[in-house]
Amino acid sequence: MKIEPTQLEKAVLLKVSGRMDAENAHEFEEACDQWITKGARHLIAELDGLQYVSSMGLRSFLAVAQKLQSNSGSLILCGLKGLPRQVFEMTRLIGVFPVYESAEQAVAKL
Amino acid sequence: MAHEFTRLRMPANLDSLQSLIEFALAGADRAGLPVSERDKLELVLEELLVNVARYAYLPETGEVEVAYASESPGELTVEISDKGRVFNPLEAPLPDLSAGLADRPIGGLGVLLVRSLAGSIAYRREDGRNTVSFRFPGPQRSGT
Repeated sequence: MKIEPTQLEKAVLLKVSGRMDAENAHEFEEACDQWITKGARHLIAELDGLQYVSSMGLRSFLAVAQKLQSNSGSLILCGLKGLPRQVFEMTRLIGVFPVYESAEQAVAKL
Repeated sequence: MAHEFTRLRMPANLDSLQSLIEFALAGADRAGLPVSERDKLELVLEELLVNVARYAYLPETGEVEVAYASESPGELTVEISDKGRVFNPLEAPLPDLSAGLADRPIGGLGVLLVRSLAGSIAYRREDGRNTVSFRFPGPQRSGT
């Protein structure tokens, strides 16, 4: 899994690509925690390069989103497709996170 | 008709995860399982094997076995078994999927994914072993 952050005006964009599984899901949570510690309120996870996510990855997304929400912030997902999108749909997490087609759309809503 | 299973037994811990998954995926490739099903199979294997590694023998350690067989081209039957505590993933409680973000439980999603993606999933407890068996291709989902 590769995580490439970009600091935007109102949010931090994290481009996540590759595979998020039991072995590396904690890396995503740790990367988000670092930005939260630095004061980021909104994180946008751009996921069009995400090929695989298991429940350990879902746990990380949920944990990060709950932390941000308790600080009046949000974790916004965009670019979900393929099996990762099905995984979010099957677990009905699609309705729990704000989800947009693209990072541009997500930024415009902030 | 009985068919021959190919088996791999390893210590039930997260260090074995990759080898066990690769073993079963090699079987899937030999059986000619469609590529679209390969990632789903991998996901089901990961969820079930992580559960065994984390909970089956706690606080002791033990082994887990992955076995696969193919009855017909493009199809794979997989069995995952352990000698740990009784655990039937088909009866495990599912998280409240209607809860909002703040109340959404963080656990239980793996079992939901397994039940959604694997075909003909079944559980048996015999001779002190848990065995979960399932087939791929799994159920066809509309609209995906």
